[in-house]
Amino acid sequence: MKKILGHLLWAAISLLAAFFLAGIAFDRGEPINSLWLVLAAACTYLLGFRFYAKFIAAKVMALDNDRATPAERLRNGHDFEPTNKWILFGHHFAAIAGPGPLVGPVLAAQFGYLPGTLWIIIGAVLGGAVQDFIILFCSMRRDGKSLGQMAREEIGKVGGFTALLTVLLIMIILLAAIALVVVNALKGSPWGTFTIAATMPIAIFMGLYLRYWRPGKVLEVSLIGFVLVVLAILGGQAVSHSSTLKPVFTLSPVALAFAVIIYGFFASALPVWLLLAPRDYLSTFVKLGVVFMLAVGILFVRPELQLPAFTRFVDGSGPIIAGKIFPFCFITIACGAISGFHSLISSGTTPKMIAKERHAWPVGYGSMLLESFVAIMAMIAACTLQPGVYFAVNSPAKVVGSAPEEVVAKITSWGFPVTTADMAELARDVEEETLFDRAGGAPSLALGMAHIFARSGGGRAILGFWYHFAIMFEALFILTIIDAGTRVGRFMLQDFLGHIWKPLGRTSWMPSVIVTSAAIVCAWGYFLYQGVRDPRGGINSLWPLFGISNQLLAAVALCVATTILVKMHRARYMWITCIPLAWLVTVTFTAGYQKILSPIPSVGFLARAAQFQAELASQSVPLNKIAEHQASIFNDRLDAIVCGIFLVLVTTILVDSIRVWVGILRGTRDAKVREAPFVLSRLKPEEI
Amino acid sequence: MKSLKRFGRLILELLRELSDENAYRRHLAAHGRAHSRAEWQKFSDARLQARYIRPKCC
Repeated sequence: MKKILGHLLWAAISLLAAFFLAGIAFDRGEPINSLWLVLAAACTYLLGFRFYAKFIAAKVMALDNDRATPAERLRNGHDFEPTNKWILFGHHFAAIAGPGPLVGPVLAAQFGYLPGTLWIIIGAVLGGAVQDFIILFCSMRRDGKSLGQMAREEIGKVGGFTALLTVLLIMIILLAAIALVVVNALKGSPWGTFTIAATMPIAIFMGLYLRYWRPGKVLEVSLIGFVLVVLAILGGQAVSHSSTLKPVFTLSPVALAFAVIIYGFFASALPVWLLLAPRDYLSTFVKLGVVFMLAVGILFVRPELQLPAFTRFVDGSGPIIAGKIFPFCFITIACGAISGFHSLISSGTTPKMIAKERHAWPVGYGSMLLESFVAIMAMIAACTLQPGVYFAVNSPAKVVGSAPEEVVAKITSWGFPVTTADMAELARDVEEETLFDRAGGAPSLALGMAHIFARSGGGRAILGFWYHFAIMFEALFILTIIDAGTRVGRFMLQDFLGHIWKPLGRTSWMPSVIVTSAAIVCAWGYFLYQGVRDPRGGINSLWPLFGISNQLLAAVALCVATTILVKMHRARYMWITCIPLAWLVTVTFTAGYQKILSPIPSVGFLARAAQFQAELASQSVPLNKIAEHQASIFNDRLDAIVCGIFLVLVTTILVDSIRVWVGILRGTRDAKVREAPFVLSRLKPEEI
Repeated sequence: MKSLKRFGRLILELLRELSDENAYRRHLAAHGRAHSRAEWQKFSDARLQARYIRPKCC
């Protein structure tokens, strides 16, 4: 009887998933309620988790709870520690959740809510969650080895080295792209700039408190830090009204870019306990809290989506991300559907904390579904804005003009009516000078979130507080990623330089710390500066580059996963990893090709360089703009080279992997699995 | 009520895990040491050094 009821329940969930997906896919004309998206996603996730992931766990991986995990075998109380599966679920989710699933969907909303939403749901269930789950499994069976180590052991030395180089390059582009998001959110915003600047002394205070005054009291100091940050938000409002302080905190994009670059250098070189770690603790708690608040807010307010299912920009003429819906919608969504970076987490801390093999199912697969749900919420937040407002905020001045009247006329002519009065009122509500030309996704996400929070209680009167709270939330954890990323890049560089001259490899030798920190900061700082000076707002160049690189890293992870499946004699299940791999390779190579060689200047780097070159040759460029044009030509060519390098690196790994697969399937190559030997688990339920 | 309490406890444990407080407790138990400023600093230095050689997710 229980079994029949179970079957009926899952049949009902399947029907509901089909009903809600069909609802959002075929509804046209009237705005639809955001609950349709929430329910379509939730039902599909449940089905994916219950059936697809269970199938992978049972048939492909053959997860075995009797097999001792590294957490049990190598238990040391530090990294290796069997952990309750729900605690580890939260831990893993906190580690994989970054700004990507928040910013990507907001930018992709320019194509309408439907393509992005469908990709977030389907991509996560069939691609992103599968990647995270299988890499977690592979690492767990190999004593928690990293993706790079697994690539080297399973594919070969070339694959391993290429994977490491890919990670370093991707990190440089990632740091520049997310730093640009912060710069665009804070430019000309004294309130936002003050709040974010205040988080630095707050983090240092927390670091000292934890180090000397109340050692070990992390939750206590995080609570104090949170109260101080809220006070800083309120202080920011006072700053924005002060005639003395307002100009001090009203910074241009270039000034902000340099501030972030200098900050990145110090955060990388300073002791980690002083600034980076306390900020990280705080940002993790704020991140989880805000995600929870947003979910509750959406369920409570149930806002209607104002953007249409498809916009006219599916044809590639979009003002935010230039290029057609295929491949650029999929590139832009980034981490909400599939993220290569997750494979670094799934082969990092998490496999060392899994108590029982079957816990990898909720932790690996389930956490990615939750991350995908965060992306759905970001999409909802962006789509609840009036479409004209959404485009006015996100469109760079070069595309829509700089005078407010010109901007609203252009956007209204696209079929998205907006007036200067609407924009002025909104700017007044959130106490900003202007909301025009705020490309990058963060301000429009903050506006959407602020509307949802304000409608949950407080109304328009506290819209300004919620807007700046959302900006603080986004900037806080973006800066944490910049700190940590610069530091990791520094270690990688030191590791590499240590082979050339030993002292350079010593992570505690100050001259080496300074030189390598500066090198990494200069690398991403250059791309950030280039993005800030880019006439199209920079995000049009950097975000697709980041999307391409991140998804190429996912392709690397799926190559490793497929190789391991083949070696485990599970070649008949290769399709599980090969379908997302084939899709990613198609999408990223198409996007990469178009970004390099498209003849449309807004899309292709080389075409844009050629356009600038032609303008210079025609001598139509004013004298004071010649240097800027020359820099743009250099930058576009550099971006094309970087994009080309990504494609070459991933082609190398792909070809190397296919060589291994074919060799094993033909029987000409050793299919030895490098798993840790089986040890019977003696872990008692009460221990976890 | 009971399940709500259990859920609350789970959340608190998650926060303790995220804040490294649980890991610190395990460290003290594993090495048979008492809490002190020096012990926390030693634990924290080792843990943070291991953590920040890995990139954070985007």
